[in-house]
Amino acid sequence: MNGSTDALAGERRARLAVAMSGEGIDVLVVAGNAWRSDYLRFVAGVTVVEGQAFALIEREKPARLIIESAAEAARFRVEQPGLAVSWEPSPIEATENAIHALGAKRIALAPFAAVPYRLAMGPLGSGIARATATLDRLMLRKSPAEIRAFRRAAALADEGYAVFREAARVGRPEYALVADVEAFFRSRGCPENFQILGAGGKEVHGMHPPTERRLTPGDLVTTELTPCVDGYYAQICRTLVLGQPSEAQKRAFTVYNEALERGIAAVRTGATAGDVARAQNEVFRRHGLADYVTSEYTRVRGHGLGLYVDGRPALLEDVDLVLEPDMTLIVHPNTYHPEVGYFVHGDSVRVTSEGCEVLTRTPRELFSVPIA
Amino acid sequence: MRRGLISWSREEVPALVLERRVARLQNRMRDVGLGAMLVYTSFARPSAVAWLTHFVPYWNEALLVIFPTETPVLLAAFSKRVHDWIRSVSHLGEVRSAPDLGRAAAAFLKERSPEPARIGVMELDALPWSVAEAMAKPGSGAELVDATGVFASVRQPADESEVLLARRAAEIAARALDAVPATARRTSEVLSALDASARLDGAEEVLTAQIRRRSPPGRALRRRAVGRVQGRLGARDALFFQERSAAILGAGGEMVRRNGFASGREKRFCRPRSPAPAGQARLLDRRDLHRKSAAFHLRGGPADAATGATRRRSRVPVPATQPG
Repeated sequence: MNGSTDALAGERRARLAVAMSGEGIDVLVVAGNAWRSDYLRFVAGVTVVEGQAFALIEREKPARLIIESAAEAARFRVEQPGLAVSWEPSPIEATENAIHALGAKRIALAPFAAVPYRLAMGPLGSGIARATATLDRLMLRKSPAEIRAFRRAAALADEGYAVFREAARVGRPEYALVADVEAFFRSRGCPENFQILGAGGKEVHGMHPPTERRLTPGDLVTTELTPCVDGYYAQICRTLVLGQPSEAQKRAFTVYNEALERGIAAVRTGATAGDVARAQNEVFRRHGLADYVTSEYTRVRGHGLGLYVDGRPALLEDVDLVLEPDMTLIVHPNTYHPEVGYFVHGDSVRVTSEGCEVLTRTPRELFSVPIA
Repeated sequence: MRRGLISWSREEVPALVLERRVARLQNRMRDVGLGAMLVYTSFARPSAVAWLTHFVPYWNEALLVIFPTETPVLLAAFSKRVHDWIRSVSHLGEVRSAPDLGRAAAAFLKERSPEPARIGVMELDALPWSVAEAMAKPGSGAELVDATGVFASVRQPADESEVLLARRAAEIAARALDAVPATARRTSEVLSALDASARLDGAEEVLTAQIRRRSPPGRALRRRAVGRVQGRLGARDALFFQERSAAILGAGGEMVRRNGFASGREKRFCRPRSPAPAGQARLLDRRDLHRKSAAFHLRGGPADAATGATRRRSRVPVPATQPG
């Protein structure tokens, strides 16, 4: 581990120990896989790429990791020398045995999204507490080291979007744009990025993985890209036009930009996630676009960021989670516009006691890419 | 998350091929008396549903519901706006919105099978708690049974479409390796070149494995770390990059042969130590690299049974120690 990774792991482990003590948890069993590695990353500093993994965390003791992939086990032994790593071809059974061997200790399981059926609902399940909410609380507010990682990810997101703008040229297929961005991120040592996009006009209702469609003049090209640094994701959403924007595209941009500004202005300690969503949605309602802030056309008005690309809280009007300092979010009023198609615009922010700090710095413009 | 080209070429994988695979499974389901079968898919476990329907989730999760006589139904935790895209890249009957996958599945099964039925679940033990809980509740009307063996019994052998896809993956990987500049001095440069080439060539995803040596060149390799090994992933996922000694090259080649493809390519290059500049490529350049090689690890080939194959295979590739 390098210095910043060490600091991250140390901070997380200290907070975890306090939480476990407060909840009376003797052993925390955390499951993960390539889809949900965020909780494992928090408690044990590992990001799983293949197979299942289980961390057993006891207060004041080195963490144990049971992992399905021999290759992954070898990697973690080198990357995390403080972990007791064991490769088990049947990791669920091995974890069940390990839990059984713990005896009468108070054991808790997490997360709900990754713990397998056999552990949660099998013979041992009735005696095991649930700890997902405890970890969720810990993961909401970021420590100084976590904020530093998030800040670096946000800076990389800005750079990635500059590469995307260069890549977006008439005649290129959508997947070539992502190829350029991914190559850039790898060149900067960024191992992971979540990115989807959309290109076209009114027929485009959302973003998706890149297709073979080739860009044409007049296309609106949307993307959200989400690079990961030391496990922490930051995101940026922007829209560009191939050629000169039409009047309708300019008008649409004005609405989304105002919504983003209002949303960001609503982010402050003590406000709720719903307040931030409402501030954005009110702009659309005022412009006669109320239908387009419903679930028919959009999913969320932003969400938490951190060790997972789509974390808590979801920014929706009915979410009453209260914002606290050092939560990290993306605010994005992304939705369909009836005159121009799907449109995205969003920035990563850190909640502060006064308001928020915007960490992505790409100008809030409707970018125009010359056709020639 | 998966962000390469996800598309469905009907020439590469005709609908009829997918229908035959589903029919094989349905025949087996009838033999063992299953009222329905559930196959879970996510970014981490996509291969079984991909084999049956060509659907690969770029993120999020879904459950494929197969009844003994109908076209499979996908319960998808994705936004409804993505359903058109899902239909465009996969061969499915109905696609249903299921933000709460477990509850939606329980309700759907009750709606379609009012009488209590035996529901087979592939890899039941591993089904996420969040999905299983609602279905396993008393009164849900379903008796969940493990059907991993049912699926495994129809998964092999690979058909021609699958072999052709895997061959194409190998070709993509071969060109990616050729694209690595001989002057590359850092892992990040190698990975960048691999990613760019493979993705521009239409790779669905690029996963690389690196084996890092801790000992100086010319001395015994005491320990290695492997990262980004792909197992249960899509057929065009093709890349397996390894930093390893010449002796281990054989292991890489063997792995390719085990998967039934002779088109693996290897590339080796030597260079002096070159510590990464501060702040640059730090995540991947924690250790200097000296000799590198690459081999391709293909999913979707005859050795991929989608159940247990990864575990068996994971014992094979690399011996505990090799001369450096």
